[in-house]
Amino acid sequence: MAPLLELDQVSLSFGGLRALTSLDLHVNENEIVSVIGPNGAGKTTLFNVITGIYQPAGDIRFDGTSLIGRRPHAITGMGIARTFQSLRLFLNMTVKENVKAATYGGTHASPIESMLRLPRARREEREVEARALEVLGFFGQRLQGYRFDQPAYVLSYANRRRLEIARAMATGARMLLLDEPAAGMNPNETHEITELIARLRDERGYTILVIEHDMHVVEGISDRVVALDHGEKLTEGSFHEVSNHPQVIEAYLGRNPEALQK
Amino acid sequence: MAPIGVDEWVARSGDRRDQHSGLRGQLARANERVGWWPRLLLVGLVALLYGKVIVGGNVNYAQTGFNVVLYAILALGLNIVVGWAGLLDLGYIAFFGAGAYIYALFSSHAFGNLPLDTGGVLLPAVASIPIAVVGVGLLGLLIGLVALRLSGDYLAIVTLFVGQAFAEAVNNVAPGTLGGANGLFGLKGFHIGSAIIGSTLGYYWFAVIVLLVLMALLHLLDTSRTGRAWRALRDDPLAAEVMTIPVNKVKVMAFTFGAIVAALAGTIFAAQQSSVFSTNFSAQTLILIYACLVLGGAGSIAGAVLGGVVVTVAQQLLSSPIDSAYLFYGILVIVLIARVRPWQYLAAVVAAIVAFGFAAHAIVGAISHRAIAGSPGSSGWFAGALRHFVIVPAGSPLTYGNVLYVAMICMVIGVVQLHGIRRLVAVVPTVYVAICCWEARLTLDPGITAQIMIGAILIVTMAARPEGLLGTRRVEVV
Amino acid sequence: MQIFISTLVSGIVVGCLYALIALGYSMVYGVLKLLNFAHGDLYMVGAFVGYFAIQWFGGATALIIPVPLLIIFMMLIAGFGVGALGVAIERFAYRPLRNAPRIAPLITALGVSFILEDSVLLLFGGFTRNYNTPAFLPFRQSIHIDGVNIWSVQIIVVVVSVAMMFGLRELVNRTLFGKSMRAVASDREAAEMLGVNVDRTIAITFFVGSAMAGVAGVMSGLAFGQISNIIGFLAGLKAFTAAVVGGIGSIPGAMIGGLAIGLCESFSSSYISSQYSDLIVFALLIAVMLVRPQGVFGQPPLQKV
Repeated sequence: MAPLLELDQVSLSFGGLRALTSLDLHVNENEIVSVIGPNGAGKTTLFNVITGIYQPAGDIRFDGTSLIGRRPHAITGMGIARTFQSLRLFLNMTVKENVKAATYGGTHASPIESMLRLPRARREEREVEARALEVLGFFGQRLQGYRFDQPAYVLSYANRRRLEIARAMATGARMLLLDEPAAGMNPNETHEITELIARLRDERGYTILVIEHDMHVVEGISDRVVALDHGEKLTEGSFHEVSNHPQVIEAYLGRNPEALQK
Repeated sequence: MAPIGVDEWVARSGDRRDQHSGLRGQLARANERVGWWPRLLLVGLVALLYGKVIVGGNVNYAQTGFNVVLYAILALGLNIVVGWAGLLDLGYIAFFGAGAYIYALFSSHAFGNLPLDTGGVLLPAVASIPIAVVGVGLLGLLIGLVALRLSGDYLAIVTLFVGQAFAEAVNNVAPGTLGGANGLFGLKGFHIGSAIIGSTLGYYWFAVIVLLVLMALLHLLDTSRTGRAWRALRDDPLAAEVMTIPVNKVKVMAFTFGAIVAALAGTIFAAQQSSVFSTNFSAQTLILIYACLVLGGAGSIAGAVLGGVVVTVAQQLLSSPIDSAYLFYGILVIVLIARVRPWQYLAAVVAAIVAFGFAAHAIVGAISHRAIAGSPGSSGWFAGALRHFVIVPAGSPLTYGNVLYVAMICMVIGVVQLHGIRRLVAVVPTVYVAICCWEARLTLDPGITAQIMIGAILIVTMAARPEGLLGTRRVEVV
Repeated sequence: MQIFISTLVSGIVVGCLYALIALGYSMVYGVLKLLNFAHGDLYMVGAFVGYFAIQWFGGATALIIPVPLLIIFMMLIAGFGVGALGVAIERFAYRPLRNAPRIAPLITALGVSFILEDSVLLLFGGFTRNYNTPAFLPFRQSIHIDGVNIWSVQIIVVVVSVAMMFGLRELVNRTLFGKSMRAVASDREAAEMLGVNVDRTIAITFFVGSAMAGVAGVMSGLAFGQISNIIGFLAGLKAFTAAVVGGIGSIPGAMIGGLAIGLCESFSSSYISSQYSDLIVFALLIAVMLVRPQGVFGQPPLQKV
């Protein structure tokens, strides 16, 4: 079966800096693939290129259709949603509104219809409300009840990360790109996130591409791991294969293999 | 064991809100329970009351009321672009002006001056208003498309120029048709068939209806997907784009909607004034509209309307010397009450000011009779009381007044730098000098004084409440 | 050819003045991200300070001190006076709004502009005054090139402006203060946490920027004679344009932008029409902004995605 997401010889340069070089990558449906690499390896650039923020050389195909040249909102509409490494929530909007805002692409009521509350607008609003509740419900009690109408800037860091994922889910995507979802979390929260990602695939059928530094998370969830450095793919395979690859150890984990054993 | 992350303190915040005591708490709770349309009806009721009861045939009051509603409508339109979508459009005045001029062209014999001499194109309002609105809407679309390339402050400057260019163009270009510096006049008012709106009060009612309808429609828009898209765009355009929002289209929509509202206001303005002049659409007017929006609270419909009321009423008060005095002393009293707490300190400060004043007056009077021979500028009942309070030399010499003015400014700046008891002590002579300056100098030039007061009001209100009266504090990620 | 050279010269003179004002705009924008619409009025205040300095020293026709000394005094008094005024304005009006949404300080700046313009109107009246420079710096004191007279005043303006711009560049690039200014402009919170006295840095930035505007005001009076309380608006607008076209926040940008606007205005006034010269300058600006939205030397807004 063809992969859901396929990158074909993707390259990107910023002036003289080669951010990505001839990258080949694929993600099959329902897979969880982790991308690891030192800082500056090009991991977030990879996400930016997939979501259309930068236009690379080469081809990127999602479900067979090329993504090159499309605007970000169109790409997300096709089924790929992402979170950001440094959170980018709509801080002044409430939790529910953050999630609802992401449903814009899936709704079609015109401003006139919205103003006059015509049937299509009303129906879509009901659907949007239901979707918001459903998506926020995925996170247990964390983003429920009194939280719905709180502005996003009052949320704790962990809840903000969860809200970002919820917002990405609300876009109706099939595939999620999670950029360091466990960054800055304590062990308990990290464990929760790991379970959450697994649930996203098992219960909701998402295909997930994850950037992570925390090896426990990577080990716990990945079907496959891809290692990048200096914009190039070093290797890919199972966690065990990749973490024992000499180049990966040297580039990312340092010459001290004990970093793995922690 | 409580799950990690459940915030008990936050969970009880609802209870804490209920603990707000007294009137403020009750109002807040009532506000949350009631839907939006009863509040709209309340606004309508106030407007009705004003028009029927307070105006009572007085043309000035009718004009003030009309101005209030007009600026409220303009502020609402600006709110879409600046408050909701967060796009700094400093050329908004061009939309207002274009709407007014297009209406003027189609409601006068302006086109009759062209070589074709069609005898002018006099359309009924039912036709000319939509033409103006659609035309300016298209202009808004165009400006919006141009704006896509620019962000933030660069957008501000380009739109500023468009606004300036409009005023210059309408003043200099095609004076035969557009009237040049003399403008167009003798416009036919709103009419259907033979029924025509002739009086200012008539236009007031028309504008009130437009305002109410607009408030309702905009609220419905704000709570819909379009409103959410605008607010997302304002918070983080990049994230919005990645979250399926077509940022470019949404930006252009904001400009277009804002332009449509401004154009509508423009037609009403032109019809009521029966004329249009390029000076109606100057930077001064733009500043007033911005002041309405920001002082009222950008991002809030009620805020825009309230801002329109406050700024227009203040401007009206300031144009009459007697009312200016009320405003001046009123503001003085409000500032003292608001900033000097608790009431014992306030009483002490007020007593000190009174004592200081009479003492100073007596001392200076004892030294030189001429120094206090002049009379205070204010008229009315407190002029008598002030006569023995302020130091106004005979003949009201300008130099004395000017020195007092500079001294007042320096002292005010000084007071702000001090804290605690030193500030309270410094307030006493400062207030006295301010009152003397008002009576001795500022009342002599009411027009200039009005401008100074507007400037002072803008500075002080922004310092006190940057988010505006009904605005909410925002978190901005720079 | 003569017309060309004289147009060029007057363009450079005006351009230098715009550049000085634009520099103040850019500096303040850099540290506070604030478009200080009252900046043009500081230039106006400087012009008035210079005028009263002349009167104080006897008046244009009966000076009691030698002319070079007069000019130096005027510039010093205007520079320090307007600089101090700028610091006071910052302290009083802008400091409470350090963390407010961007649109609030905009309104405050407009309020400050009103107060400056109308205070001058109140204190000194609205009629135009004239420096009457030819009385103490006669036209015959000029250099002749190709049959064109370059008046000594024009030379003074250009020399002083260029000197100030170089001085500013040294200040920004070589001194510790310049470094702290750039740090605050880059990231205010981080600078504060690293020990930079942010309040003082901002105050000094305002001082320098306002002083430059003040000196520009004096030189404007010397070169063009007429001053009134409303000259600040249009000059401020053009200088603001210069700052943005050059890339707001960029110091070389403000200089180049100012010169560009000055030359543009001069040439379109000479060769096309003085009535439409403003419109032409505006139109050209919009064109430049569309081609290069961040200005000539500006950085496109950096986003870490």
